[in-house]
Amino acid sequence: MHHQPLTDLDDAVLAGRSSDGDVRAFEVLIRRHTPLLRAYARRTLGSTDELDDVVQETFITAWNQLDTLQDGARVKAWLMRILSRKCIDRIRARRFHDDVTELEVEAPADDAPERVAEARSREEAVETALAELPEAQRRTWVMKEVLEYSYEAIAEELDLPTSTVRGLLSRARKNMIRLMEGWR
Amino acid sequence: MTEPDPVRLDSLEPDDLDGHTIDELADYLDAGMQPADPSIDHSAACQNALAAIVRLRQSSLGSLEAAAEQEAPADESWISGVLANISLEARAGRDVPLRPAAPTERPVMTEGAIRSLVRTAGDAVPDALIARCTLEGDVTELGAPVRIVVEIAVRAGSTIQRVASDIRETVAEVLATETDLLVESVDVVVRDLLPPSDDEPDPDAEEERA
Repeated sequence: MHHQPLTDLDDAVLAGRSSDGDVRAFEVLIRRHTPLLRAYARRTLGSTDELDDVVQETFITAWNQLDTLQDGARVKAWLMRILSRKCIDRIRARRFHDDVTELEVEAPADDAPERVAEARSREEAVETALAELPEAQRRTWVMKEVLEYSYEAIAEELDLPTSTVRGLLSRARKNMIRLMEGWR
Repeated sequence: MTEPDPVRLDSLEPDDLDGHTIDELADYLDAGMQPADPSIDHSAACQNALAAIVRLRQSSLGSLEAAAEQEAPADESWISGVLANISLEARAGRDVPLRPAAPTERPVMTEGAIRSLVRTAGDAVPDALIARCTLEGDVTELGAPVRIVVEIAVRAGSTIQRVASDIRETVAEVLATETDLLVESVDVVVRDLLPPSDDEPDPDAEEERA
């Protein structure tokens, strides 16, 4: 009866224990949040074999920076932001923005609306629509709508002019709304 | 077989949105629709577009959660790899001196090691788990008075006062035995409630065993 499972503990308590140096508590956080972080990384980087590495780096950075976490209850959002920076570093390394002007005119494939229309739930439809967006649009959309970054913060993180970020988001919005209109 | 959508947002350009861009509408929403703009509030086309943006936002996070459910649970060997790569030193804290056995010795114990002692002892108290342990005072000075703050989670349905007092005694005892800290007080703060225990042993308990 003495060793009670730490899995009953909420994120705030686990973050506190981890900050105190408890590896077991940190392990519970890893188990709990890895699927969400992988899903986020997959959405940002695509399905690559980098996913394991980028999520691992996220947890190692998180462990080292536990002192900076103000509110342990927000550990999930905090992990997602650390991960988002790691993903952006990877993207930079790939030099995705060789030609900024070209990025802005990319569009979803012609048969994208059909694929979205086949989704069985609204969530699946959004997921499909996002997957159909050109990479740069998807990335800025997720940063804005899921991580709630400002235009300026996105520009800074992605090393792009704010005007380009606005342009990408504008296209992303229109594409997402149009794609989702086909879904009932 | 899909029904026609009553919301017509064909071009999403200002011509269809009573002079507004879709981005202005998104920014208006971000600003909490303040200050009120009647040219948006009274435009049916803008209201349709705003509704579409709101629906999209609501399902964006939801879809990420749904995508997470499609991901396999974290791989065991991958978890071991992560844990092998984190550094305990990063969380070791201050060096706390112990009383030397000989004048030439300068034995120390890390703050992290002391917290670990407190955690292990406190977790063994029935109906309690340690949340955090803070050492207040100049612990780097041998003999300086120290206040210990222990935050705990308590099993719902147990007597909180009894649990808190057991924790206080247990922690004071382990620190007296294992360290040379001059403990002025052990203060216990209840931070969280644990779900009530069932009669069935928890199958997860096995993997969590220290």
